Amino acid sequence: MNEKNHWRSLRDLQDAGATEERKSREFEPGVTDTFDPSEMSPLSRKQFLALMAASAAFGAAGCTNYRDKGEIVPYSKKPEDITPGRPLYYASTCTACTQVCGTLIKTREGRPVKVDGNPDHPVNRGRLCATGQATLLQMYDPARLRQPHTGAASARSGDVTWDRVDTEAVQQLAACIRDGKQVVLVTGPQTSPSARKVITDFKAAFPTTRVLTYDRLHEDTRRRGWERTYGSGPVPTIMWEKARVIVTLEADILGAEGAVVEQTGAFAAGRDVDRPDDFIRLYAVEGAMSLTGTNADYRIRLTPAAQLELVLALLHEIGRRVNIRTAQYPAGRSLDGLATAYGLAAPTLARLIDDLVAARGKAIVYAGAVHSPEMHAAVNVVNELLGNTALYGPVRSADGAAVSPVEEFTGLVRDMKAGLVGFIAHLDVNPVYHLPAALGYGAALAGVPLSVAFVEAENETAVACTYMLPVHSMFEAWGDHSVRDGVLSLQQPVVAPLYATRQKEAVLLHWMGASGPFNESAYRDHVKKYWETAVYPLAGAAVDFTAFWQSALHDGVIELPHATPVRGALRADALADIRITAPTGMSVLVTAAPYIGDGAFNNNGWLQELPHPVSKIVWDNYAAIAPATAKRLGVKSDDRIEVSTANGKVTLPVFEQPGTAEDLISVALGYGRTNAGPVGSGVGVDVTPLLSLAALNGTRVVAASAVTKAEGSYALASTQEHHALDDTFVKDFHLKRHIIQEGTLEEYRRDPHSLGIERKEYESISPRVEYAGLKWGMAIDLNKCTGCNACVAGCNVENNVPVVGREQVAKGREMQWIRLDRYYSGTPEDPVASHQPMLCQHCDNAPCENVCPVVATNHSADGLNQMIYNRCVGTKYCSNNCPYKVRRFNFFNFRDDLAGGYQQEEPLNLMQNPEVTVRSRGVMEKCSFCVQRIMEARQLATEQGRTIEGKDVRTACQEACPARAIEFGNVLDPASPVTKMREHQLGYDVLGELNVRPNVTYIARLRNIHSEKSA
Amino acid sequence: MKKAWLDHTLKVRVPLIMMVAAGSFIATYYLSRSERDGVGYAPVQPIAFSHTLHAGTMQIDCKYCHTAVTSSRHATVPAASTCMNCHTVARKTRPEIIKLTKYYEEGVAIPWKRVHRVPDYAYFNHSAHVNKGIDCVHCHGPVQNMDVLSQIQPFTMAACLDCHRNAPTRLASIQGVKRGPENCNACHR
Repeated sequence: MNEKNHWRSLRDLQDAGATEERKSREFEPGVTDTFDPSEMSPLSRKQFLALMAASAAFGAAGCTNYRDKGEIVPYSKKPEDITPGRPLYYASTCTACTQVCGTLIKTREGRPVKVDGNPDHPVNRGRLCATGQATLLQMYDPARLRQPHTGAASARSGDVTWDRVDTEAVQQLAACIRDGKQVVLVTGPQTSPSARKVITDFKAAFPTTRVLTYDRLHEDTRRRGWERTYGSGPVPTIMWEKARVIVTLEADILGAEGAVVEQTGAFAAGRDVDRPDDFIRLYAVEGAMSLTGTNADYRIRLTPAAQLELVLALLHEIGRRVNIRTAQYPAGRSLDGLATAYGLAAPTLARLIDDLVAARGKAIVYAGAVHSPEMHAAVNVVNELLGNTALYGPVRSADGAAVSPVEEFTGLVRDMKAGLVGFIAHLDVNPVYHLPAALGYGAALAGVPLSVAFVEAENETAVACTYMLPVHSMFEAWGDHSVRDGVLSLQQPVVAPLYATRQKEAVLLHWMGASGPFNESAYRDHVKKYWETAVYPLAGAAVDFTAFWQSALHDGVIELPHATPVRGALRADALADIRITAPTGMSVLVTAAPYIGDGAFNNNGWLQELPHPVSKIVWDNYAAIAPATAKRLGVKSDDRIEVSTANGKVTLPVFEQPGTAEDLISVALGYGRTNAGPVGSGVGVDVTPLLSLAALNGTRVVAASAVTKAEGSYALASTQEHHALDDTFVKDFHLKRHIIQEGTLEEYRRDPHSLGIERKEYESISPRVEYAGLKWGMAIDLNKCTGCNACVAGCNVENNVPVVGREQVAKGREMQWIRLDRYYSGTPEDPVASHQPMLCQHCDNAPCENVCPVVATNHSADGLNQMIYNRCVGTKYCSNNCPYKVRRFNFFNFRDDLAGGYQQEEPLNLMQNPEVTVRSRGVMEKCSFCVQRIMEARQLATEQGRTIEGKDVRTACQEACPARAIEFGNVLDPASPVTKMREHQLGYDVLGELNVRPNVTYIARLRNIHSEKSA
Repeated sequence: MKKAWLDHTLKVRVPLIMMVAAGSFIATYYLSRSERDGVGYAPVQPIAFSHTLHAGTMQIDCKYCHTAVTSSRHATVPAASTCMNCHTVARKTRPEIIKLTKYYEEGVAIPWKRVHRVPDYAYFNHSAHVNKGIDCVHCHGPVQNMDVLSQIQPFTMAACLDCHRNAPTRLASIQGVKRGPENCNACHR
């Protein structure tokens, strides 16, 4: 225990001297020397003062009435439910990805200011991922399209009216029917049954309609694998909460794949230190270091191209162990052979099989969507052998995620070029960016007489169309959504449309009907009618439809009875004609980016600036390669390499990612957009050229034909190497400051005190402050925390944290109040990672308070370390004296700084939380334990004539955490969950020996691994 | 030599010191007049609304118009629709009511001039004070006697703290009133 010498990056491990030198400085080099006099204004000091005096005189002369305090403008007719200053909450649905989680949207004076998960939703159960929370910025994005505009196909002449678009579209659609030309709708996966019905009706109205669907981050390989295994039928969901052994194969279930919020919640629920007999064990087989890999108990480093062979070897071994004949299935090398060939630890593989066999029916093997259908079929067979099919839950809604075969896209481009397509509309998709350039989709669009794109903001496809048509954001739109049988959620507008946008389905309905003026509520009526005819009868409600509808809108989600999924018999030829090819040479794995989706959220600064959960790199994608591979290629981090595949080539910056499989390049898609808006354009590199069209519904693992070092270098910006916890002082005495404390579950079960966590009382020269009644504190369970960054996103939104941009992050000036520290231990080849959220610890003996010359930071009677912006003069002494490095300084007015003052443009001012000060240049800021929420709870308690209690307040990070790792409350209340965690035998303080008495307690992480003895 | 020194003192130093002292006094006096803190500020309102008539003569409760005062940070200025509860019938022919009706019917919000204001960085909470039983008059003065509303107290941090620190004497009418919080986060965040 605690023998780990933790390191945070390869540079840290290999070049300890340089790291020590860097840690001894408060700021990164260059932070303080941006003031080069020669680059500054030629104005001399005297001239400056003279000008200042003159302008002050002018200013004084032009003074208006200093007593004027402006106006108070009340409503003319006050809406009944709105009380200025009090929030209203609406249940709705997040449509950022196809998982369509339920949301609870907080609005103030009619505008949404915060998005959280809907607690009544059975899938995400009150939590929401980082992307979902940051969608707020999508709505207020100044780059949004405000009215219909012409695209390149009509020479981009300018704004047009909806009426003109309507007239042209209706004429063109009629002409298509008359001339037998094709009408094409290109859509993303439609999770909405009502929207699917609109499309069906559209097809009926215009019989020549073709609908093409694609999803850049599809799960179609899973569906095709399922068909291969069971003949047909929709793919079931996994009941993760019942799994006790999970084996993932390049599946980032805790990071970017599937229902991450649900999966993280289930995983964390199985890591409860008070139920040590019911711990989940997670094995991750992966080539790229993913968030799932960093949280795995055992990580088996294997390039994705070799994983099929491993699964087949497992299949035969398991078959032998459970006495089921597997000779009909293809076989590659044996497990031992694979272990030798790829340097896998044979004991780990043996334990994997033991665990799977022992946990039969409660285990699941899960392959990532990047894998081929063959791989998914093999995994299905393994699960069938083990009886893990007991964990299969309700099926995914029949065609919610269905995508079209890729041949349809080649056919479409051919038809467009041949002039057979008369009209094309794009709904929620960006094919010009997503489809390989070789297909020539963008150019083919020019051959279509009328092309339109329904978009929120300009994108690559929209500018190539005749018209780009602005649609409602998810906060302005109606809808209903379902990803799995039996769960149907409603989406309702929470704000009146900001611009001349329309509901896209309503536009399609209008074009179908075509008579009379556009009816904005047409789609609401359509959804309502669909619910009345198709949902209400199923629900078996005891009330009439109006009451049912109102209650469904209020709750945001309904659960319907659904048929038990039936699975066909396992097909004998499930794995027939699988070719096992051992990978030769380098391969490329194109992963999903953790937060920006398929590129749809590139203009969202909050998401661009969320550090990658593993590498901590912001604002970029990069080629992650193993240190050994980098050495062989003669490159190091920040060099550039040119990667070629059979489909094309791209040049990428290199990042030496510890834990990457050798000869593998892992790179995220969704970057390198050219028309994403002022923030997102040109960020990162588009890796679509590496992929073939087949990857649109097939595997995203491709062989690299050549990898060579390219000219130049590119400095990736990361949040990991600055704000270093300063550990030089004791380095010579110990190697460890007990910042991360870990043990194994086995030891803990034998002896709960085996970790030897000491929480000493130290002498202090100042008298101890006694607290009475109420003292706020937080506890974070590191067993549950996966490092997903949802807390950071929640904090950003709640506390008006600005986006600073890549250059500023590189200088260590990021402003996020929570930092997810990721430590490595072990070797660079097979590192063991630990995540730790680090935020202001609200120390009882806070070192920052003693050094502030103006007492701008001090302590409150309820234990908060207060930071008072209007008192701060910006000496930065507090930050210098903070041992946790959690204070953030406003070096600039960052809102003015990024992308030409983008964050100060209308309507972003409406997005700010009105209960939190928007900080300006020159002041320090840091986590406040969401003091605005404490004050609101205090107000409510006073209103109800009682005193405030610990459970009245939930911080934004706590509310966001999908793993429920964060508890907050009154530490003087012995019954509160936070006190229980504080007094837990695994609870520890970070840097407690400094006697700062921090008020954030961490629960030491237990790894569910076998000890040496039991090996 | 000695004479020259005295000469210098009398001719230059003493007048200079006196001038600086007088100048500082005048400047300080001027800048710290309570008028600078807004006391006595009584702007002309778009509609000549009289608190004397409504709150004084007619004894309408403050909360009838300032509805949110017990449930929100803001007391809230009433919407025109609240005025029209009575004025669709009452005194319809008076010029000020005709103005009001026009605002209401055109759906234009009435641009009332703000009288009381705390800075953006201070988060004053009406509900927390009123629910503790503190009467509006303590801060806003005898509003029921004001034909034109004006500010009575200086809304400075010193004024807030004066009451927070001396609540038992300042608010003697409230049984068992405790001192208000003095920590920074009580108002600033």
